Amino acid sequence: MNRRNSSSDYEVVWPRSAKSVEIKPLARRLDTLDGKTVAFLWDALFRGDEIWPVLKQELSSRYSGMSFIDHDSFGSTHGDEEHRVLAELPGKIKSMKIDAIVSGMGC
Amino acid sequence: MLRVSAIAEGAGVPTSSLCCEGFLGQAKTTSVGLGYPNLALATVPGHVDVQSENELRSNVLGTTVDHVIRNLTGEIAAVQATKDPAPDEIVFQGSFEEVNRLFLENGWSDGLPIVPPTKEKIAAFLAFTDLPPDHAIGKLLPDNRLATVWNVAVNGVMAGCRPEYMPILVALVEAMADPQYGVEHSGNTPGAETLIVLNGPLIKQLHFNYEQGALRDGFQANTAIGRFWRLYLRNVAGFLLHQNDKGTFGNTWRVVLAENEDSLAKMGWPTVAADMGAPPGESAVTISRFTGGNVIVSVFGDSAEKLLPYLGNALVTHTSWELVFTVGLATGTYRPLLVLSPLIAETIARTMTKAEAQEWLFENARMPAQLFEKYLWGWTNLIPGKRTLNDWVRLGKLPRVFAGNDPNRLVPVVTKPEHVMIAVSGDPLRSNCYLFVHNGMLGFPTTSTVKLPQGWRSKLRDAQG
Repeated sequence: MNRRNSSSDYEVVWPRSAKSVEIKPLARRLDTLDGKTVAFLWDALFRGDEIWPVLKQELSSRYSGMSFIDHDSFGSTHGDEEHRVLAELPGKIKSMKIDAIVSGMGC
Repeated sequence: MLRVSAIAEGAGVPTSSLCCEGFLGQAKTTSVGLGYPNLALATVPGHVDVQSENELRSNVLGTTVDHVIRNLTGEIAAVQATKDPAPDEIVFQGSFEEVNRLFLENGWSDGLPIVPPTKEKIAAFLAFTDLPPDHAIGKLLPDNRLATVWNVAVNGVMAGCRPEYMPILVALVEAMADPQYGVEHSGNTPGAETLIVLNGPLIKQLHFNYEQGALRDGFQANTAIGRFWRLYLRNVAGFLLHQNDKGTFGNTWRVVLAENEDSLAKMGWPTVAADMGAPPGESAVTISRFTGGNVIVSVFGDSAEKLLPYLGNALVTHTSWELVFTVGLATGTYRPLLVLSPLIAETIARTMTKAEAQEWLFENARMPAQLFEKYLWGWTNLIPGKRTLNDWVRLGKLPRVFAGNDPNRLVPVVTKPEHVMIAVSGDPLRSNCYLFVHNGMLGFPTTSTVKLPQGWRSKLRDAQG
């Protein structure tokens, strides 16, 4: 971006700073949802309580042997429970043998 | 929502994040800061708040389900990181106008001209801290960039601050990075804006306005530091409109509110900083996000008993959906702020301490329980389950004062008297007050003490000529 030098010019630096996280690859996707366990995590906002049953019913109709873990097994992912729920999540993924997670609602 | 997905992806589990249509852009930029720029999003068409049950069901079945399946079973394109400039790298050389055009085009400016951040100007700011330039103050979501002493100075220069403001700027970013404050919520849709309250000797040493027009731009210290706050949120935390900042309307940044400590000393009332636990005799900043506010004009009466009812009424009439922070979303985190002009505060102080005034407001500023509940889940859809206040009491989430079955019983708007914060500032000889309505845990009051560099007095003398 540099250009000609002049006595009236300003040499300026960048006002931002390096990101403190590395770009990481996503988890390997599943080959099928047949027989898989899917957990729903919810921020207790924006009608997730109406959307989860619809998702559950439709996914169950398209794939056999699916099981679901409802949001109340985790707590709310927003508000005063957020930090606890997020801290507990890796442990619960293992102990509950979760294959995939659907998280909502960003509205 | 996306923080859940990032943690799960890191644990080796594929995810799908449900987003209303208008939030896909924010989700994409937030994902970058979480280290997973390609987090898989499932669209919910439109916005759920205004859809019938059938419309919502149809949208989920017609779009969202297919996106969820694709996200969990399909391949998702990988993303590569881009290289950022080094902190002291000269990224451009040009005239004032050219520098400003570059900063605008790259989203590094708020729309007003900035002071070009040259190394010479930055060095002048760095001379006002004992911390090294690369000192990491913290990490700021959503971009997850490092807050450093260097980039505090850079943005301080840009905002039009003076070098001697640097200790306050560092303290502000320390507060911003404090997890208690919750900076990651700064782009939420209510668009609340932070108010900085300053206490201590720096009010006079740096010539802050704390009298008439205390909340108006026009005094360099109050104004430039207020602008710095928003520039720093933009450039380091990453809150840009149409990206991570989803304020539906938003506000312009607020100037710093300095308290009238002469008046406070005369009354024997503690400062806001003292209420927050700051050491006496030191300067401190207290930050908190407020959704809005209103001026309470011509408060009339010659005693606390005559003045407080009007203030209590303002507290009740201006608090609405924010009650989800009294109970529900983040119980007990609602902290409204009353700013009293010295005239009013000193009249109240004839017979009451600050704590007694807060107690009076807790006992008397009340609203019908049924109205309170309408804000939680009647007129809004913010708290699922339609629990009554009485239910919350039975669950142990609210004190007994909220209990009862009469829908018209009067209940407080905060859970403890001291949750009504009180500051003293503004025109010393006018009877107006101001109420700020608070955004709860999404900008919780957080105080940071200002650390002065060695040789502060001589450095300040030189800087002020």
